[in-house]
Amino acid sequence: MKLILSTSNIMSGGPSVIRRHFFEKSNTELTSSLRANFTAHQSSPPTPTTTTSSTSPRPKPPFKSWTKQQDNTLWIPTHSPSPLSEPRESYDITVKLFYLPNVPADTRCLQTREAINLVLKELGTSSIDLLIVSFPGISFDADDEESDLEDPSSAPPSDTDAADADGAPEDIETIATTWHTLEKLHEEGLVSKLGIAEFGCSRLERFLGEVKVKPSVNQINVRDCCVVPKPLILYAKHHKIELLTHNDCTNVLPRGTLRDILGSGEKGAGVLAGEEDDDDDGEKLKGEVMPQWVVKYTAVVKDRGVVESKGYFAVAELKG
Amino acid sequence: MGLLALGTPLEWPEAKKVASKVRSWGIEQLLAIWGNAKGKERAALLWGDEIEYLVVCYDEQNRKVRLSLRQADILAALASDEKLLQEGGGVPDVQRGPVKEAEITAPVFHPEFGRFMLEATPGKPWGIGFKDLLDVEPNMKWRRTIAKDHMDKSEYPITLTTFPRLGSPDCIVPSYPASGPKLRSQYVPDEIANPHIRFPTLAANIRWRRGRKVEINVPVFKDEKTQWPFKDPTVNRDLHQWPEDDDVRNGAAKDNHIYMDAMAFGMGSCCLQITFQAKNIQEGRTMYDQLSPLGPILLALTAATPIYKGFLADTDVRWNQISRAVDDRTPEELGEKPLQNGRWRLPKSRYASNSTYISQDPRLRPEYLDPDLVVDQDIKQRLVQGGMDDLLATHFAHLFIRDPIVVFAEDLETLDLSKADHFENLQSTNWQHMRFKPPPPNSDMGWRVEFRPMEIQITDFENAAFSIFIVLITRAILSFNLNFYLPIQRVTENMETAHKRDALGTEKFWFRKNPFSSHGSSTGTSTPAEGSRPPTPFGPVEDEYEQMTINEVINGQHSADGDRFPGLIPLVESYLDSMNVDVETRCDLARYLDLIRKRADGTYWTAAKWIRHFVQTHPKYEKDSVVNDEITFDLVKAAEQITREEGRDGLGKEMLGKRR
Repeated sequence: MKLILSTSNIMSGGPSVIRRHFFEKSNTELTSSLRANFTAHQSSPPTPTTTTSSTSPRPKPPFKSWTKQQDNTLWIPTHSPSPLSEPRESYDITVKLFYLPNVPADTRCLQTREAINLVLKELGTSSIDLLIVSFPGISFDADDEESDLEDPSSAPPSDTDAADADGAPEDIETIATTWHTLEKLHEEGLVSKLGIAEFGCSRLERFLGEVKVKPSVNQINVRDCCVVPKPLILYAKHHKIELLTHNDCTNVLPRGTLRDILGSGEKGAGVLAGEEDDDDDGEKLKGEVMPQWVVKYTAVVKDRGVVESKGYFAVAELKG
Repeated sequence: MGLLALGTPLEWPEAKKVASKVRSWGIEQLLAIWGNAKGKERAALLWGDEIEYLVVCYDEQNRKVRLSLRQADILAALASDEKLLQEGGGVPDVQRGPVKEAEITAPVFHPEFGRFMLEATPGKPWGIGFKDLLDVEPNMKWRRTIAKDHMDKSEYPITLTTFPRLGSPDCIVPSYPASGPKLRSQYVPDEIANPHIRFPTLAANIRWRRGRKVEINVPVFKDEKTQWPFKDPTVNRDLHQWPEDDDVRNGAAKDNHIYMDAMAFGMGSCCLQITFQAKNIQEGRTMYDQLSPLGPILLALTAATPIYKGFLADTDVRWNQISRAVDDRTPEELGEKPLQNGRWRLPKSRYASNSTYISQDPRLRPEYLDPDLVVDQDIKQRLVQGGMDDLLATHFAHLFIRDPIVVFAEDLETLDLSKADHFENLQSTNWQHMRFKPPPPNSDMGWRVEFRPMEIQITDFENAAFSIFIVLITRAILSFNLNFYLPIQRVTENMETAHKRDALGTEKFWFRKNPFSSHGSSTGTSTPAEGSRPPTPFGPVEDEYEQMTINEVINGQHSADGDRFPGLIPLVESYLDSMNVDVETRCDLARYLDLIRKRADGTYWTAAKWIRHFVQTHPKYEKDSVVNDEITFDLVKAAEQITREEGRDGLGKEMLGKRR
């Protein structure tokens, strides 16, 4: 079964969107806004202040009451789109698609279409301005030898990153194959500009040799943005590639994290049955969750600089 | 401060007679504007900053610095500079060049109340493009360079909030005798004010309405050798030129206070003001309300005013001094005499912190409003009758409790509903820390909100940092739908707190604990699951806010339980994380945010603290609170050097940190 997890618009969703520590690179925005959206859709939500009520966790409502199954797809939670309120030309719509590790690269053509369609439907629009793709295993500072970035381990370690190794970065040919899919979207006018994430100078150079439509954007995670290596800045300028900042981790949804969020543990949503949860009368789903991809979308009202809509979809396969 | 048309100004007794007429015409003009503009939609974010300068004149030989009263000459030079005009700059009140789309436009200059002051604004408004944000600082520097280029060699446009020795003997050039007929001040001459008839009339009629001179008493800083009780040694109790010379014999000058007696002591202060255009009236009202609680915080954070009339003060900011310098309330309105002729008691000066919230926002609880708000009920009724909602009608009917101070006889002949002069007469002489500005008639401008509490900073780097910070905060407020509401009286209290010496490091301010709306309640578009949660019932208002340090408000409360106030800087950072920002821009913005972060946490000093320290460690300082001519000369010189070097040479690094 396919699971489609959604956050809805997280902009007015409260503290889940606020990062607490500077230079924190994390997926907490995704995970906490998923949790918050689930909670909001459960009719009797677990008390958020778990510290005081840990003695007797409240029973969670059956997941069927707040999710929706269509054919072989389960929407978690039940979802209906929130179209943008102003005419299309008022917006700058950016979509970032995270391809995940351990997913065969040849499925990406389909995944990309699917992700774009979800976002278009969500925002009630027919095109996006910028599509950035993030390939598994690429991490900017490790890749670029000229980089004088500090050691990545000095960032607050995120336990999820360690639990699910990103694996080695893909070779340029595989990346380029995926890119050709995006070039088609670009040709069709569905996407005006394409972008990549975390490419260092040498990778970028090799990549440009392989592609027809050049990326307009290279998104870089910068804990301290003033330390981007000069050669990269010059190279990007020369090729008219904008270097944009972001704050996501590359492996945005490790397998364990998803199981945590959906599981039957104290902080789980109670969709998946736990290991020793056999007394459940089949009320919960069983099987192995395999994260497939994650997409983040942001719609900004251009001439006001206001983020009207931002959210995530995460898709996983449940194999039982 | 724009100049109103010339004409014949009425003296106070005459102006008083027509006050009701001006008010009611002003209200009709407001209703006309409201009718035309309430449906304006989709205006872009445009914003502008205003920088105000003191023009100082050095006398190197005698190691003295004075205020230069050459405002008119400098403006004339600016208005006739061909190159400046060609680039679209100049002096809008006199002459400026054409503004061309998509071209760099030179800045423009404006007169201010003080004849030693100058105001400069960008030649055209800023947008929200991040490139625009990065143009702000160079533009501010350009403004200062242009201003300086049109001054004498001995002059410099300095951005100190107040001139340390304003009101001391021999502090202006050219020199004029004090005790003129308009101000009747024993310290400053009438020539201190801009000679445009509007300004002396404003000062004279405020005094006249009040029945005595304005009275500004600032607590003096008690140092080791300060005579105590402190009796301001500059007060002359033997003057008999004007009836108002009796003021000091009637106790106007308070013990342990620095005494001042003229509008120039307040309105001669420089501030940093930011005006935003909202997309529509609703967004404007939201911004007005949400920025309001930030006012006192930004006042304390920009504190830069520790000296008055040659003495160290025990306060750090200018606000209350301006408030008192234009306080036109009569003894009856002040509650000093029983109400006989006055209409009401007025708890605040017309220059004061906000007293209203105006947004039609379900989050605005009635408990946040001031139950004792003074409102002109007839005016309110007329506004409501004219179609305005209760909340906004209350706001304007509150502003219109004041009398118009400067009335030109020519304007009273016919009511012109296509103009806003009578409305602006009241609106622009209500100096609250926020101002809600309707679009001017017949313009394509939208509804605007002005943020007014900040003090001017010594460097343009700082002025740009604070301007940009406020812009980014408004974007975060609108994007995250933040809620900073707290009872308006608490905001007023905070404004007082912000005055205390080193309030930044030692005081706490009322602030809302949770700026977020509860999840899903305001999105409205997501389908609620069956049996969705009932709306969270409101708890007691008092549980919504608590006292925080400036550092906590700016940088967040860090504690084990995550549910504390996240901090304004983290909110801005999170906003930026949601935007496509290029690396170099983000790096530049980081410099600005870093300054604010470190001001708030005490790593960097406020200008007030730095100036205090400068004075107290000056070899000529006698530990008696007196800031003499020589200290002032060195201080102003140091400020100029900091303006130029921005701490790169080490001077002022306590304020600015290590600059590249």
